[in-house]
Amino acid sequence: MFKKLIKESTGKSPWLFHINAGSCNGCDIELVSVLTPRYDAERLGFQLTGSPRHADIVVVTGPVTAQSLDRVLRTISQVPEPRCIVTMGSCPQSGNVFRGSYAIAGPLSKYVHVDVDVAGCTPKPEAVIDGLVLATKILEEKRGQMK
Amino acid sequence: MNMLSLQHFPIYSVMVLFLGAFLVVIFGRNKVLRHSIALLATCASMLFMMALIKPVMLDGEIIAYWMGSRVPAGGYAIGIAMEVDAMSLFFGVLISTAVFVACIYSIQYMSHDDNVPQYYTLFLMLAGGVMGMVLTGDLFNMFIMVEILTFAAVALTAFRNTVTGALEAAFKYLVVGSIGSTCILAGTIVLYAQMHTLNLAQLSALIPDHFTTATKLAFALLYIGFSTKAFLVPFHPLAADAHGAAPASISLIISGVLTKCGIYGIIRLTYFLFQSMNLGTTQFLLVFVGSVSMFVCVTMALAQHDFKRLLAFHSISQIGYVLTAVGLSTALGLSAGVYHAMNHTIFKGLLFLAAGAVLHETGTTDLGKLGGLSKKMPHTTVLFLIGAAAISGIPPFNGFASKWMIYQATYQKAVESGNIGFLLVTIVALVTSTLTLASFVKVTQSVFFGQLPKELEHVKEVPFGMRFAMGILAFLCIATGLFPEQVTRYLTEPAATAVFHVGAYINAAMGSGYAESAMLNPPLAAEPAFIESGIWSPVSWLCLLMIALLAITVVALSGKYDKVSLGDVSDTKYQLFYGGEANFASLVGSDDMFWGFKYNWRHYFSFMHELHSGVVNDYALWAVVALALAILYAFIVM
Amino acid sequence: MTLILEALRYLVYVLIFPGFLFCFLTGLLLCGIDRKLVARMQKRVGPPILQPFYDFFKLCGKETIIPAAASKTTFLLAPLVGLAALVVIQLFIPVFRFSAFSNVADIIVILYLLLIPALSVILGGAASGSPYAGVGLSREMVTILSCELPLVLVLLAVAKTVGQALGLGLCFSLTKIVEYQMEYGSLILKLSMLPAAAAFLLIIPGETGSHPFDAAEAETEICEGPLAEYSGAPLGVYKLSHAIKILTMTSLFVALFFGGVGRGLENLVMMLGVSGGLAGALIFLLEILVLFLFCVVLTFLCISVVHAVTARLRIEQLFKYYWTVVTGLALISLVLAWYGL
Repeated sequence: MFKKLIKESTGKSPWLFHINAGSCNGCDIELVSVLTPRYDAERLGFQLTGSPRHADIVVVTGPVTAQSLDRVLRTISQVPEPRCIVTMGSCPQSGNVFRGSYAIAGPLSKYVHVDVDVAGCTPKPEAVIDGLVLATKILEEKRGQMK
Repeated sequence: MNMLSLQHFPIYSVMVLFLGAFLVVIFGRNKVLRHSIALLATCASMLFMMALIKPVMLDGEIIAYWMGSRVPAGGYAIGIAMEVDAMSLFFGVLISTAVFVACIYSIQYMSHDDNVPQYYTLFLMLAGGVMGMVLTGDLFNMFIMVEILTFAAVALTAFRNTVTGALEAAFKYLVVGSIGSTCILAGTIVLYAQMHTLNLAQLSALIPDHFTTATKLAFALLYIGFSTKAFLVPFHPLAADAHGAAPASISLIISGVLTKCGIYGIIRLTYFLFQSMNLGTTQFLLVFVGSVSMFVCVTMALAQHDFKRLLAFHSISQIGYVLTAVGLSTALGLSAGVYHAMNHTIFKGLLFLAAGAVLHETGTTDLGKLGGLSKKMPHTTVLFLIGAAAISGIPPFNGFASKWMIYQATYQKAVESGNIGFLLVTIVALVTSTLTLASFVKVTQSVFFGQLPKELEHVKEVPFGMRFAMGILAFLCIATGLFPEQVTRYLTEPAATAVFHVGAYINAAMGSGYAESAMLNPPLAAEPAFIESGIWSPVSWLCLLMIALLAITVVALSGKYDKVSLGDVSDTKYQLFYGGEANFASLVGSDDMFWGFKYNWRHYFSFMHELHSGVVNDYALWAVVALALAILYAFIVM
Repeated sequence: MTLILEALRYLVYVLIFPGFLFCFLTGLLLCGIDRKLVARMQKRVGPPILQPFYDFFKLCGKETIIPAAASKTTFLLAPLVGLAALVVIQLFIPVFRFSAFSNVADIIVILYLLLIPALSVILGGAASGSPYAGVGLSREMVTILSCELPLVLVLLAVAKTVGQALGLGLCFSLTKIVEYQMEYGSLILKLSMLPAAAAFLLIIPGETGSHPFDAAEAETEICEGPLAEYSGAPLGVYKLSHAIKILTMTSLFVALFFGGVGRGLENLVMMLGVSGGLAGALIFLLEILVLFLFCVVLTFLCISVVHAVTARLRIEQLFKYYWTVVTGLALISLVLAWYGL
């Protein structure tokens, strides 16, 4: 009974942790707008947390600069299982306009499994919510696979 | 055992300690012999005291022992008496137990020091002096014992004279302690000149009817003398210095035992000798000094960054509680006061021993240099946490039981007397308790939890003997907290009752009928009523807590409380992941721990900082000013 | 036989009502209502009312990471002790005429027992060894210090008022305080108790650590302070404790100031013409319902509205606020009570 309850709850209460890996701040603002009254992701249970240890979904913005790489990876490793990694905007997926720069270590998928990519520069809030909902489904699945 | 042989027990329990001191001098070179002498002496002293519990505490006997059988003749007490009523015995049992525990602890704690035989000699002298002081029935004898214990304590403060500040602390203690002793001597002289006797019982019979200016002077002198011994405000800075420098086992004695002597002296002085506790002015004096000690010292403790200095200030703060409760002059107040005195000896002893354990292993007590010891010293941490919870008054430990009685006593007093001042005392006591908690949170965080500094990685748990001594005290902390009814019935209420039976005390020494014939208004032996207005049943509470804890644990475990993981770590992409956590030093220094509080009180704290200059001249001046104020208070108000 | 029944009764008290299960359901429900209300006040749809339940169960299913710098036992045990203490406190707070355990603890004891959950947060934070937790626990302690003084004054004022009216001098028993109110009307109707009630209302958000007094767990600046290193089930237990604390504080307020409402409920049932065992059951159910409604209203007043309209205070502002404004209110009440007004 508990297991089923837990599995269902996992999809309904995804907590976000936002990592800025050298973003231009565009995506960051857009992520916050997802939580504002107009889009209100909280109705789906989304909540911003202050500590990676509390998070279920890690949202990474920015092209993963060489400086931030170690911190990003270390932060992601602090997130307890089951966890989902969502990249937001084109930067963490491809490097976007920064591609080829000596200062860029991205894309993020070189280092970790990325579960959901939300493309765009910056993606619309609707797209972000869509991606996050997809991530909750993956979360639920992952929880189901756990012993 | 008949009464006749029991009569000798008080003198035995004092003599055995002094005897031990001399034997240690002779045979002290041998380690085994030295330790066995010290342990045997302190253990025997404790057993002698324990044996007296039944006749004195439960049957209400008062033991009067005249040295050389020089019993009073012609209505005058010529000989020297030991007089043990329930109050004396209460402190006697307390002190002998604390001394015994300190002795167990010392064996391994002092193993790295030089001159250990001298340590034991002084230690046993100190213990003997303290025991003698609470058991004696003679004012001059009391002064002698006070001198012995003061000088032994001064010498022991400076025992580790390689430690920075040890000699300075000892010097300060010597100067101000001597002022205190001199005051006691002067008070004794004045009383002797007036009453022509030094026997406490006879003085108690004579003084109330001859309450003159001279006796008022004596009162002020004796009061200041005893309050120096208890380190009450304004003598509190001495305690901090002395505790900081002395070995932990001696800190236990100074804080848990020496201060109790001061309290005992004040109880004898106000309730017995002068029988002035029915006066509002005496009550005000004690309650005021108690409350000020309570509050000032706890705020001083908040500002400390040395483990033992912090504990030292707390010790005065707790003594403030005791004095406040005793000063209420109600049955409940006295019972609560002596209960708290007992608890203070137990939990503060435990805390000092824990501090000693930290010092023993790490070589420092600076809060800024310590941290994360809970992983290296798990037993010490648990024992410390028990002590910290007890002193902060967290139920169900003993500190809560007695503090809770003190709150009731002060509030009852406020309601009965209609005096709003006592209400303020209740509030101050409650707030002080929370501040105590705050400063122990600070110690817990900066010594036992948080990051472990690199230098401390070699630290080990302390030897078993030291943990055993701490374990005894921790056990007592829990036991006396869980069974407050039994403790009050068998220990504190008899002690408090004895205070209301001054007539019996006088008659036991001077022969029956003396009090009635010598005094105009012989004190009535009214049975005091210990009325509590609160409800607290720690055992039931603990049972409930345990059931709840068990239930929650079961639910938590059934709900996959344990660690779970996905298990595909073999994935190459994740290899980089397990880089682990980087260690960061704590952002909060122990000084800034309660910034939000200290910022709002910054003027108060800077004032206090300037006041406590650390210069011995200042402290001597404070002593003189306090004496002058006490004399003025006695002359003008009383 | 009677012994077994008695034991069973106490077990039901501890586990179901007013113990664990009741706390769990009501506490989380109050928390959910609070979140919904805040969302509505901000013109949002807001999470479902059952959101805290989802959060709790989700956290139960997460991995529990124990940091390298943490002391494991304390780290895992601290949240459980805090929760158990809160459940036990709830047992001592009477629901109008019903009280599970009336002769175990009085209000001064409850005042101290309320420290244990806060202390469990502090100990857990300290045991996690994180610098953020260090900052957080120091703020948590200052918050406790701030709330303690006005809370003491409020409780003393109530004790004095009731004690004087009952001719006892002072009355620390919470059961007696409620019984007195059943007899002579709620304390909130007394002029002298109004400031105390106001002070208590202001203490509730501070004690529960909600906006604007959540400096200790400020997620935006110090990563949720003492909880920074917690994950999985222990974190869930802390979130649950936080929810139950809302219930504890609001039901304590009801017991202290609205105890007289129980009398009205009894009269209501009488008027309906029900009698015997059915009446008792009906009264009991009504009492629980009314208590819950009161808790919801109080949560709305003290937590949701305050949350929606204020921004977080700095810790020294918080301290100053409590020791001046709130203490002032409580002091007025105490002085009025002292002179029997």
